[in-house]
Amino acid sequence: MMPATRALVCIVCCAAALSASSVRDDGIAAFHDGRYSVAFEKLKQAIQKDPADLQARVFLALTEAARNDCKSALAGFSSLGELADNTLARLAGIAAARCLQTTGNNSAAFVLLHKLAQRFPKDADVLYILAKFHMRAFTDTTMAMFQHTPASYRVHQLSAEIFEVQGRYDEAISEYRRAISLNPAAPNIHFRLGRALLMSAHDPKVLDQARAEFTAELKLSPEDAACEFQLGQIDQIQNRQDGARRHFERAAALSPDFPEALVALGRVHLQEKRYQEAIPLLERAVKLQSANEAAHYALMMAYRNTGQTEKARAEQVVLQRLQKPPEGEFTEFLKKLGEKSPNQ
Amino acid sequence: MLRFRLAVVLLASASATWLPVYRNIAADAGLTSVIPNGGNKTKQLIIETTGSGAAIFDYDNDGLPDLFLVSGEGGTNMLYHNEGRNRFRNVTEDSGLHSSGWGQGVCAADYDNDGYTDLFVTYYGQNHLYRNLAGKRFQDVTAKAHLIQNRSRYNTGCAFVDVDNDGFVDLFVANYLRFDPATTPKPGDNPYCYYRGLPVACGPRGLPFDRNVLYRNNSDGTFTDISDASGIAAPSGHYGLGVVAGDFNDDGMPDIYVACDRTPSLLYINQGGLKFTEEAMLRGVALDQHGRALSGMGVAAADYADDGRLSIFRSNFSDEMASLYRNVGNGNFDEATVPAGMGRNTRYVGWGAGFLDVDNDGWPDLLLVNGHVFPEVDKLRIDIRYRDRAILYRNLQDGAFQDISESSGPGILERHPARGAAFGDLDNDGSIEVLINNQNEPPSLLKLADHAPGHWVILHVEGTRANRSAIGARVKLTSGGHTQLQEVQGGSSYLSQNDLRLHFGLGSATKADRIEIQWPGGARQILTNVAADRVLVIRERF
Repeated sequence: MMPATRALVCIVCCAAALSASSVRDDGIAAFHDGRYSVAFEKLKQAIQKDPADLQARVFLALTEAARNDCKSALAGFSSLGELADNTLARLAGIAAARCLQTTGNNSAAFVLLHKLAQRFPKDADVLYILAKFHMRAFTDTTMAMFQHTPASYRVHQLSAEIFEVQGRYDEAISEYRRAISLNPAAPNIHFRLGRALLMSAHDPKVLDQARAEFTAELKLSPEDAACEFQLGQIDQIQNRQDGARRHFERAAALSPDFPEALVALGRVHLQEKRYQEAIPLLERAVKLQSANEAAHYALMMAYRNTGQTEKARAEQVVLQRLQKPPEGEFTEFLKKLGEKSPNQ
Repeated sequence: MLRFRLAVVLLASASATWLPVYRNIAADAGLTSVIPNGGNKTKQLIIETTGSGAAIFDYDNDGLPDLFLVSGEGGTNMLYHNEGRNRFRNVTEDSGLHSSGWGQGVCAADYDNDGYTDLFVTYYGQNHLYRNLAGKRFQDVTAKAHLIQNRSRYNTGCAFVDVDNDGFVDLFVANYLRFDPATTPKPGDNPYCYYRGLPVACGPRGLPFDRNVLYRNNSDGTFTDISDASGIAAPSGHYGLGVVAGDFNDDGMPDIYVACDRTPSLLYINQGGLKFTEEAMLRGVALDQHGRALSGMGVAAADYADDGRLSIFRSNFSDEMASLYRNVGNGNFDEATVPAGMGRNTRYVGWGAGFLDVDNDGWPDLLLVNGHVFPEVDKLRIDIRYRDRAILYRNLQDGAFQDISESSGPGILERHPARGAAFGDLDNDGSIEVLINNQNEPPSLLKLADHAPGHWVILHVEGTRANRSAIGARVKLTSGGHTQLQEVQGGSSYLSQNDLRLHFGLGSATKADRIEIQWPGGARQILTNVAADRVLVIRERF
């Protein structure tokens, strides 16, 4: 080809590419402005001119999703494959997950959202949508439960747990009691009732009521370490040191990796000045849970009281590092969920 | 002889079964003026929540302790003269103590050793030192004493304490936080401005920290800020409130403990040479048994367990236990809250607190006043309330206490938004009265309806080589084979000053067999066979 012809071809091709990218940019701008019909037309044109324009294809699918045409949008997203660009991948993932949920494909939405959360673990939008997804799944399942099994003890158990999260402990207690009356042998409800009683009031009288529930739970689940631990704590507050020690010993025996039980037992030994018995328990607790402030504190005191000043100072350093800024309201809210941790 | 023994046995058993009945005699005593302190139904700023303190001190040396109450914005601090027979006269206007602003705490001592007890009042803004002019009136000598601060500070607890035992009391001032009403967020503005879902005054969480201050008394009527050089300003990240000074490690030099809100509390150990190191964490008085920083407010120190050492009690927030730290020697402490029977009261926000021997059995009991920070809490209709009752613990003489609040009379059970509390025997009858500063209400004045069964003695110790107020003097009193230890303390309770005189219950003993005074600086003085049921003035002899 003659140089002049080559130059002409180049000018024509470059002009076409320039024109395609210009149309695409107009489409993206229209998308961002919420002018979806304009965006749709422009992006279509851009893809016709350059079918390989990834940005145009992503934004076309996003536009289709925004226009509630989830079928086309999902087809568009699936044709894209794994996107390397983080910004595009995030936008496409969020829109695709919403579309999947809208079209009733919850399991695919679930998988996609968790993939997104792994890739963008600190992204507020991703986490928000994931939280909403779970919330909706929770609501749908709860509704189904209330519709199909209204007389089930589980309905009352779930109601109680919801009230508990809302801090409405009196109502939670009442619902737990109804659940127990319908199924006295159901595991874990006496435990939850005991906890709700402890949270419901500051009156020392609730300690005895909670004790009765934890004891009832132990009859159903004789090897429940969490119940033993709770009973130990009640005994401690009520100045029944021997009882506390027995319960904590049993909790630690039932669940040797239960750090709170080890710390509680260690503290009993500390109070009784049996430091040599306390130290191995507390050392084990900090090994199991390196961020357990109670364990480090008790260990620091044990070392101090046995003259092991350097070890005590080392624990002090850890403890000072762990002294976090005060927790916010949301953490308090989560605490109220009151689930047993796996090692209990 | 047999009759005497029988009488002793009867008296001892009477003490064990006797229950105190406290009444609030404030109105009859003439204490009717309301002390303003921020909002009553809602509070917009944290400054409305922390005031204010109270003091019991004898400003005119007539032998009858007088009363002083610190006011929040919109009122004046008040001085009441003790007229005798439990009547008090408001002498604020003539005393030179009329004031304005956000008053917080108060401490009292004779800083210039002229024989008259002076007053120091802390503020959000500028503190004030009032010199007592021969018991007639007070003169504001803040500027003259070089105590003007170069910026507005949120000063809270204070204590006069002779840190170098040079015979002149120095001055410690705790600081809460850096506060500017113009820039502090309003209720609900951020997550630190909520309580149980209610928008409330923000803080202390989320607000910037400040440092504590130590002023050295130059022995010429002026003070020098030695906060940096002494190490007092070194700790950062603490919201300081109540203060008590005492020799916690028995080395003859006074240490300083500061109750801190939402952050680890502080124990400044006196190293001598005007140097301090902060050692609360390792010594076991910074955190609770779970390794968590609680919301410390008020503080009291006493030898409650007959250890011969000063232990520490600290009042905390609701949903927390109060903290009792037993001194196990060498200035180390073990938390004893739960084994001592103080683990069950968790609904109260505690403030003023004091060890006092209610029944004169020779064992310090403990009284704690309460009231929530946020008036808004009443909207929740739960068992935590803005106005709440006091708590009285009886010392069971075995390291444990019994909560006898419910059976200790209407004065204990009345509900108030209490803050500062000062302790002292106002009528020299051998029973301690309690002056309580209630927010936006008249103060309470708790008095026993009946005399306590045991014998007693009140010691008014006066330094001559030591500082005149004898702050830091340690008194060991032995009667009937039982030895008690007390120290004349600067600060204490919540932003308050107790009567500087020491009250000892003697139980069935009609005399103190031995009184040993260790004066600041180390001199000792011993008295024997001191008859009971009287106020005794002891001057330092050398």
